[in-house]
Amino acid sequence: MMIKTLETKNLCDSAKNGGCGECQTSCQSACKTSCGIANQQCENKQD
Amino acid sequence: MRNHQKRNETIQMIHCYKLGGMNIVLDIYSGSVHVVDEVAYDIIEQYEQGDKAQIKARILETYDHVSEAEIDECFSQIEELKQAGKLYAPDTFAPMAGTLKQKTAGVVKALCLHVAHTCNLNCSYCFASQGEYQGDRAVMSFEVGKQALDFLIENSHGRRNLEVDFFGGEPLMNFDVVKQLVAYARQREKECGKNFRFTLTTNGILINEDVIDFSNREMSNVVLSLDGRKEIHDRYRVDYAGKGSWERIVPKFQQLVQARGNKNYYMRGTFTHANPDFLKDIEEMLSLGFTELSMEPVVCAPDAPSALTKEDLPVVLEQYEKLAELMLQRHREGKPFTFYHYMIDLKGGPCIYKRVSGCGSGTEYMAVTPWGDLYPCHQFVGEERFKLGDVWKGVTNHEIQNEFASCNVYSRPECKDCWAKLYCSGGCAANAYHATGAITGVYEYGCELFRKRMECAIMLEAAKTLEA
Repeated sequence: MMIKTLETKNLCDSAKNGGCGECQTSCQSACKTSCGIANQQCENKQD
Repeated sequence: MRNHQKRNETIQMIHCYKLGGMNIVLDIYSGSVHVVDEVAYDIIEQYEQGDKAQIKARILETYDHVSEAEIDECFSQIEELKQAGKLYAPDTFAPMAGTLKQKTAGVVKALCLHVAHTCNLNCSYCFASQGEYQGDRAVMSFEVGKQALDFLIENSHGRRNLEVDFFGGEPLMNFDVVKQLVAYARQREKECGKNFRFTLTTNGILINEDVIDFSNREMSNVVLSLDGRKEIHDRYRVDYAGKGSWERIVPKFQQLVQARGNKNYYMRGTFTHANPDFLKDIEEMLSLGFTELSMEPVVCAPDAPSALTKEDLPVVLEQYEKLAELMLQRHREGKPFTFYHYMIDLKGGPCIYKRVSGCGSGTEYMAVTPWGDLYPCHQFVGEERFKLGDVWKGVTNHEIQNEFASCNVYSRPECKDCWAKLYCSGGCAANAYHATGAITGVYEYGCELFRKRMECAIMLEAAKTLEA
């Protein structure tokens, strides 16, 4: 039986060093009408 | 989806779905993604609710080829993942939701500069009412734009990266001011230790060599409006004589993109009731040589002819799946392309602050009208009740700003049981307002599309990772 776990960002850990705010504003890049945040890149060097 | 609430009120959430020949399990509060076989999929769905002996009996009854030892091994794997916090992880974010957003309170990092409330096209589906935003035609003066940039710098505090989008209407109708503002920002960023990132959003009509040289030098991103097939594009994107714009703009876009090298751009289309089969428009963009693509559902009144209908929904959802299949096929063939909403970096995506706080409209992000008035975002411009202040006095309407500041994914009851909430962070306040009359509401049609896009995006990442 197989469970393959992909490498992902640990959200609990990101609560410690996250929130630097250097990332792009969600709506600024292309959509302008249907924003989500999933496709944003983290720009925190410490996170 | 499975939401599990234990007796001690700890909430867990997983989302299980099948797509692209894979069984995928998302653990919502850890952000973990698991690809599992059929038997493990069945076990994981039942694991936290049922008695283990009963689950084992059901699995043995359903699958002839599975032994008890294999089921025990699967139980062990699940327990290991639980211990590692990667499956059935508890929601530890709810109690700190308000404070997470507080961390960024009082900081402005992005402005949408409406440098032209006028347009040289007359697209009837335009959310900005042909660029006028239910108001008068106007262009922004350099003095107003300069003050907006000063306002941004002063209120950005410790943020280094500042974003400015030249928006309209059609911003190239005020190109001289755009150039002057970029020059001013470049001068100020050196003095202040900031890094300006500019975006230009254009319909393409006024693109010429000067615009191409300038944009490719100064703009971090260029958003080019093209709806895809000529007949689809020309249905709405017409000039004031009613003539379609496709033939005029496509060669200009091709010239700009060719000269742009590796710098970011998006070919951004809108799909409407006229083309819920928008994959054909994506294919048209690809055949024209464009590879960085975005296709957005129209934003308009529900009774507008362009509005997406209930009947369009299954068509659109199927298109999203077919788009993911096409992307995977092209990836395997070494001819990849980007779809804005399928960009997802599982390892380097947003932190929990961003996932809870959302887009930042009205707090970190604001729109500036040609007269220097501040609004929570470009979609609220023209809604007088939402005016926040102006670039000289700053934010004076604290009541409205507090409404936006208190918006987070946990403040929307409708999002409570949604597995996608930490991928969308509650969605677009403007869409919610237009659909429900409240910025804390939800635009359920948009939610349906968003959830499908996330399923597709994660499936694509999983397939690429497993094939690598």
